[in-house]
Amino acid sequence: MTLLRRELLLGLAASLALMGAALAADPIRIAAPFNVTGGLSSLDAPALNGAKLKVAEINAAGGVLGRPLELEVFDTKSDATTVASVASQLVGGGKLAAGIGFTDSDSALALGPIFQKAGIPFVTPGATSPKLPDQVGDTMFLACFGDNVQAAAGAEFVRDQLKAKQVFLLRDNSAEYTTLLAKYFEAAYVKAGGTIIGHDDYKSGDKSLTAQITKIKAMATKPDAIYIAANPDDIGLVVKQFRQAGVMQPIIGGDGYDTPLLLSVGGKGANDVYFSTHAYMAADGTKPIQAFIKAYNAANKTDPENAFAALGYDTVALVADAIKRAGSDDPAKVKEALAATKGLEGITGTISFRPGVRVPDKTATIIGVKDEKLFLAAQVTPSFVPAP
Amino acid sequence: MSRTQTIWIGIGVVLLALSFFAQNLLPDYAVRVLTITCINALLVASMAPANGMTGVFSLGHVGFVAVGAYAAGILSLPVATKGSMLPDLPGWLAGWYLSFLPSTLVAGCVTAAVAIVVGAPLLRLSGHFVSVATLGFLVIVNEIVINADSLTRGARTFTGVPLETTLPWALGWLVVGLIALGRIASSPTGRAWRATREDVVAARAIGIETQPTRLSAFVLGAFFAGIGGALYAHYLGSFSPKSFLFAYTFTLISMLVIGGMGSLSGAVLGTVVVTALSEVLRNLERGMDFGALSIPPLYGASQIALGLLFIAIMILRPEGLLGPREIRFPNARSPKETTHDSAAP
Repeated sequence: MTLLRRELLLGLAASLALMGAALAADPIRIAAPFNVTGGLSSLDAPALNGAKLKVAEINAAGGVLGRPLELEVFDTKSDATTVASVASQLVGGGKLAAGIGFTDSDSALALGPIFQKAGIPFVTPGATSPKLPDQVGDTMFLACFGDNVQAAAGAEFVRDQLKAKQVFLLRDNSAEYTTLLAKYFEAAYVKAGGTIIGHDDYKSGDKSLTAQITKIKAMATKPDAIYIAANPDDIGLVVKQFRQAGVMQPIIGGDGYDTPLLLSVGGKGANDVYFSTHAYMAADGTKPIQAFIKAYNAANKTDPENAFAALGYDTVALVADAIKRAGSDDPAKVKEALAATKGLEGITGTISFRPGVRVPDKTATIIGVKDEKLFLAAQVTPSFVPAP
Repeated sequence: MSRTQTIWIGIGVVLLALSFFAQNLLPDYAVRVLTITCINALLVASMAPANGMTGVFSLGHVGFVAVGAYAAGILSLPVATKGSMLPDLPGWLAGWYLSFLPSTLVAGCVTAAVAIVVGAPLLRLSGHFVSVATLGFLVIVNEIVINADSLTRGARTFTGVPLETTLPWALGWLVVGLIALGRIASSPTGRAWRATREDVVAARAIGIETQPTRLSAFVLGAFFAGIGGALYAHYLGSFSPKSFLFAYTFTLISMLVIGGMGSLSGAVLGTVVVTALSEVLRNLERGMDFGALSIPPLYGASQIALGLLFIAIMILRPEGLLGPREIRFPNARSPKETTHDSAAP
């Protein structure tokens, strides 16, 4: 008897749920492939959480064009062939207004041609290669600044505010991100009047940097600062080894440093480290950032891990704004509206696209470490930006 | 040619004919998964001669895949793209490019040439030593690719390769590869391969020289690894040195071990099983909605489930699903006997 009643109740609940779904307006679907697991998860997972948060906020406020947004989330496992399979699964799986995802070029390039062929715009929150849009085509957009902007911001900060005249340049030569970052930094720093007094390479995953550190310590003229283009997985260990070997000059780098690993692995070694990134994600940050941190914490039971969370949030804002201005969820119209974005206020800065350039002009935030705590060191809009 | 081989070739040809229709009828997603399955099956099958049949357990196979992918990529980039992507390319490579089939063939030959150079010294070793040495080869290839900036763009993503690998191409190469490997595996050369695996001293006693015999298996496998690499390059259009390192090595080796080492049908079966399982699990882990009841997404659960399945298979079938055996079709009675039977009252 009780069994029957329970079944009846279940059936009733199920039919109610079905009716509810039918009554609500059709959602606007946005593809959201992210590397939630694997080597890139420490960047992609926060970006996805940020995106989900913005979608929830937009839907709570009535959606876009009277329709709720829906993220089609797929885990692409930090693997390029999985990215390609997922991309075709998304394109073939019903109407999409746009896609968002990834924090690295390799994944974006594996997906790019498939979305380009289908004519669906794709906005990446965190793949910072300024070459990316031109490598794929007119459907690929960045919501973040390009590496040339952040490297130039870092270079001007080192030259003008740290007053460093000569810098040693160390790079991880195993990734596109770090090799390009080092190249852009050198171009901008030399332009700003500085001298690079030495170069060296290491490879992501190397556990010992003794050879590189010995080389720096043995130099006749000591560098005023060291620029290290590093990936997030390595940076904690890198700064720790430099400090343990007695190299105490400021260490500067890019948004790869923007990971909890810098402080948790680097410890005291992280002091006097500076890096360029997308936003200062701390309780003493700007008002919108503070509100974002509060909302993120409520949804995920943790503070935002890094600026990619905020970039994910802004990426959804960017796409939603374009859908609203396009007045439709037709991907071709959304693409045109995206390209015409002007002065969209995000929490990581203001986003505008110049005609034909699908990388936004944004201000870079420089964060420093003092007493094992992050602080906002500067906001830099570089006067010279190296060509991509 | 045995009856089993004839049937297999027949199945291959029929599937190939069907694939021309399938790529228009099936959804793009299914076509993509089938295509990558064919490429991986070719790569896994090309590991079988060295790893399974001669007992040289190479961990460097993906190094050959990398050589094939980069060779095909450099050869088939259109001239205009070459100018912007690889401005420092040596003159003799810069002014021309090859279409899909020739670039794939050249990539296979380049890879085989590399295998001769590498295999000659390495295959003097055996057992665990050869595994470690071939792993060294994999790391060396990675280092060279990263540092040969002018040819490979270094660590940066190599992109712009024309997307030419369709399902019929991938399946066609798989069929060609399996026929070639299968014919050789059942020839005197193939028997010599197995003899060096079972007992080196006994093999030498009947006049089989270990090193050239093993080298032939190694080079043949490398040729098809190069072809597979070229197909991979034309399938994704972009790749970077880290695409061809430990993660891909372990994927391919797990497919080989699950299917059964030393068996070509096992290699294909292992690839199909692993690919199908990971695709199904990947879609399941996204969570499900049954009206009122919903299961939240659990990303990463597919990798854990896959790992547990591998362990279970290894416990229940330590030699893999097929071990050293091939899937055979029972020999039907010969036509003569059949007529006898039907003529009987």
